[in-house]
Amino acid sequence: MFCINVDRLSKFYGSIKAVNDITLSVKSGQVFGFLGPNGAGKSTTIKLLTTLIQPSGGSLKILGIDAIKNPLQVRNKIGVVLQQPSYEPTLTVEKSLEKYGMMWDIPKSERKIRTEKLLNEFDLIEIRKKRNEDLSIGQRRRVQVAREFMHDMDLLFLDEPTVGLDPSARRKLLDYLKNKVNTGLTIFFTTHILTEAEYLCDEIAIIDKGKIIAVDTPTALKNRFGKEKTIKIHLLKNLQEIKSLLSGIVDCKIEFNTGTDITIHSTQSELVLMKILRILNENKIDIDDLSAVPTNLEEIFLKMVEENVSNY
Amino acid sequence: MFPIIRLVNRNLTISINPAFLLWQIIFPVIYIFIAGFAYSSLIQEVPFGSKGLAYPAFLASGMIGFNIMNSTLVSGIIIWNDRKYGMFEQIMSGPFTRPNYILSNICTIGIIGLVSAALIAVIGYPVFFDSIQFSLVTIPLIVFAAVTGSVLFGSIASIIATKLRSSEGFNVILNTAFLFFAFVSTAFYPASGAPEPLKTAFYLNPLTYLVDVIRAGIFGDITEFVILEMGILTIIATTLFIIATKLLTKLDF
Ligand SMILES: Nc1ncnc2c1ncn2[C@@H]1O[C@H](COP(=O)(O)OP(=O)(O)OP(=O)(O)O)[C@@H](O)[C@H]1O
Ligand SMILES: [Mg+2]
Repeated sequence: MFCINVDRLSKFYGSIKAVNDITLSVKSGQVFGFLGPNGAGKSTTIKLLTTLIQPSGGSLKILGIDAIKNPLQVRNKIGVVLQQPSYEPTLTVEKSLEKYGMMWDIPKSERKIRTEKLLNEFDLIEIRKKRNEDLSIGQRRRVQVAREFMHDMDLLFLDEPTVGLDPSARRKLLDYLKNKVNTGLTIFFTTHILTEAEYLCDEIAIIDKGKIIAVDTPTALKNRFGKEKTIKIHLLKNLQEIKSLLSGIVDCKIEFNTGTDITIHSTQSELVLMKILRILNENKIDIDDLSAVPTNLEEIFLKMVEENVSNY
Repeated sequence: MFPIIRLVNRNLTISINPAFLLWQIIFPVIYIFIAGFAYSSLIQEVPFGSKGLAYPAFLASGMIGFNIMNSTLVSGIIIWNDRKYGMFEQIMSGPFTRPNYILSNICTIGIIGLVSAALIAVIGYPVFFDSIQFSLVTIPLIVFAAVTGSVLFGSIASIIATKLRSSEGFNVILNTAFLFFAFVSTAFYPASGAPEPLKTAFYLNPLTYLVDVIRAGIFGDITEFVILEMGILTIIATTLFIIATKLLTKLDF
């Protein structure tokens, strides 16, 4: 049922606690998102889970196999796209797919079929004869991700796979991954792009400074912050006294980003909005634009990371 | 198929290209013919055991040793490129172990070394024709030299590759080391003509031992000293191989 079981896993580099005592489980057949700011420990976690590095402590089961005792057995069943680019500079795109299949012991006839299929699916037909060293960064990333599908696997690790991809390539990749999950693949996916996680993931863990600070479904994470909404008001004119005018309003948090932009976070948004509008009206202050949106994951994420900082 | 064979397949695919073949095969052959005959007016005959060797034959046999050493550059370049272009991590996260990776590199250079030594021997055959003495031990001796030579110099190249991150540094150090090995050895000229300090330096150099063993094989003059040299080669190769393996196993990601 679970294909990743991590118990009190840690990785220390000297005094740096890259991964600090994390515990998590990932269900089979879902996309698990691993979210966190730079240096949070995402890549280190992926390297631990894929047996590239040895943990400083804790235990680790991948696909039911003890990954510390039998790393090779684990590696035979997983796919890994690391954050760092990897390619054979002098090989052409099609040759590098083909050779990668060979390295995974895929029979020759099957390799041919898969290469053609992936060249198509990842829009690589036009560049199939180009050498990897001559590709653009985004093209190279696409080849790197495509290559991993040359072999069969039960579990795929992707460390920020969409970095460097344009919006259309990004969306295509996410849809491709969704499809694969529908056919039974489990994906462990890191990113710091929240919309991506929202779009793709069934469950999300937020990690910061080596510690997991929340694990839940995207919807539940949003619900946890209840009815909180974000109201944005853009004023026509820059007004210094606006701060003092609005200072009497309770039950909300107001940010005066510039003299004309006001952002309000509140769980009582309707009430707060009415009060603000009345004050603005009384003082004959013109509004250029106004919007009220449910707080998105991005803000939840920033908030959590921020709170995590202040807890230190 | 075994993991090591798959890695060797991949290593050969990425290493063999026209520039490499030119450097590995064409250049030594041209050198044997041009330099061999140009210098034979200066060096008429090289004393070798109980007989004398014509200089072109002496040079061609030395070139086989030089070539085995050079082919091990491939191993250093593979390791260095794999680290630079992320393939080392990628391979290590796949169905392979570190010993698989190291052994596949050694096999790769062994194959390249043997094939290029054989090619040079075949193409150079006319120049050693007179003095050649194939016997039952000839071929095993040359194979022994190719294998220990590959392991020995391959380990040196691997050690340097694991220690350096910049390509300039890597190329400069490896080329300097190999150039030094080549010229302070009996690969290109006999020790007997050289001044005393150089003569001693020749015998601090594993390439000299390698070339001596190859010559003993080709020209059929296996002395006690050659057997001692084989022992020394084996010890140095084993030690360096263990060091290289240790370093490669410790490489962090
Ligand atoms: N080999 C290493 N030696 C020392 N420190 C390391 C090593 N690898 C990672 N770290 C440290 O561990 C912490 C976590 O790094 P990690 O690469 O896991 O972050 P990340 O979440 O992947 O960040 P990013 O979003 O930038 O990729 C960082 O502080 C980093 O400096
Ligand atoms: Mg990272």
